[in-house]
Amino acid sequence: MNFLYKILLIFLLNTTPLLADEASDWLKKKIDTILDAYKDTSISKVDRFNLIEDSINNNFAGTGISKFVAGKSWSSASKEVKKEYVKLFKKHLALNIASLMQGYSDQEYELVNAKYDEKNKVSMIDMKIHNDTGNLLVTWRVKKSKDRYFVIDLIVADISLVVTKRSEFNSMLKKVDQKLSELNDILRSQNESSYSIIIN
Amino acid sequence: MINIKSLLIIFFIVFANFSALSDDSDKVITTSSDFETTYNEDEIFDPIEPINRVIFGFNNIADKIILEPAAKGYRKLPSPIQSGINNFLSNLRAPLVIVNQLLQGQGKNAAETTGRFVVNTTAGVLGLVDVADKIGLEEKEEDYGQTLAIWGVGDGFYVVLPIFGPSNLRDSAGLFLTYATNPFNAYAVSEDEGWIVPIRTTINALDRRSKIIDEVNALRNNSVDYYAAVRSSYYQNRKAAILNLDDSELTPLPLISVEFE
Repeated sequence: MNFLYKILLIFLLNTTPLLADEASDWLKKKIDTILDAYKDTSISKVDRFNLIEDSINNNFAGTGISKFVAGKSWSSASKEVKKEYVKLFKKHLALNIASLMQGYSDQEYELVNAKYDEKNKVSMIDMKIHNDTGNLLVTWRVKKSKDRYFVIDLIVADISLVVTKRSEFNSMLKKVDQKLSELNDILRSQNESSYSIIIN
Repeated sequence: MINIKSLLIIFFIVFANFSALSDDSDKVITTSSDFETTYNEDEIFDPIEPINRVIFGFNNIADKIILEPAAKGYRKLPSPIQSGINNFLSNLRAPLVIVNQLLQGQGKNAAETTGRFVVNTTAGVLGLVDVADKIGLEEKEEDYGQTLAIWGVGDGFYVVLPIFGPSNLRDSAGLFLTYATNPFNAYAVSEDEGWIVPIRTTINALDRRSKIIDEVNALRNNSVDYYAAVRSSYYQNRKAAILNLDDSELTPLPLISVEFE
């Protein structure tokens, strides 16, 4: 039994960094796709956003994040309202990330550290963004599901995008008696405003 | 016919693959442990929210009209000048950082910061050049708010201070202590050169704001409730600072705030 335990421990110690490195390699390709879209001046702003939105929809766990962000309002909403909310939230997420990444497109970055959280089965990958006057640390939380990776959170300066969104939506949902349908209207209007900023 | 068949196969493969990717992303299950948060953390104690929102609105307008344009102008200065100003201001903060590190029982960190202060003040030409960083003495930040938290003082309620931005009762007390005990400010006042204090505070605010222009704009332009987003961001950042998750200067707070330093 003791021998088996040691073997298991050695296996875990050996595979854990590998999982983090594998996630790190995967993430680098996805970040480059987004940043390359910003560097390519031949495409229009609308096409560039569409490209980034596709990449985010495919590589972020948008539905899971949207449910977490909605908090207790999720369970009481109808199927149609939930479907509409997830669609609007994914757009909102894409607009948030595209807006943030836009600021980093002309800066050099490197993935400096990758850790695997065995307890939560999540890889945390640190990205250091360099500029002339200092550095900024961005941490990506990446989760493996059905043999591929998905981003579940983006942490800038110790501030989680998902936790901030949850707090923000929670505040808004309190104002509308936890009605997800009313939040959808607010979210739709915010998305239109954010979209017009990003394409102009 | 073969061509049509091939095209249909390619069409099927491409779209099935695209659809499979989207479907997979919909099936990822997330829980609160994935984000290391709990429902309780969503409930920030904010009993004076209506007043805070008014002050926040005022600060936001002041930022848009004055601080952000000035910070954009500041960012156009040559990089060595910006770095020099940043290093100089950081060096002026060092004595209070040392005091707070000692008050928190961080003897090793206090010794390192003292070493940084001595090296940068001398070899670094009054702190304009961060020589200490090049010899492995990393900058670490500690303030009275963090010290009070380590001593067990609770957050108190959330408060938005005019001009100074997001805070809470404990951190506001910390801000007052910073102002009251700052040796350089005290020296300037004693020499009848008190005008230096607001100038230093303003340059410090500009320097910090210039580093987070993109982050603040991303948050401001894409929030359904910007006030709540800033409030949450403030608490997350302070929590990390108190726990010393990252006490280097690598991660500036992406919030509009002015500090007495």
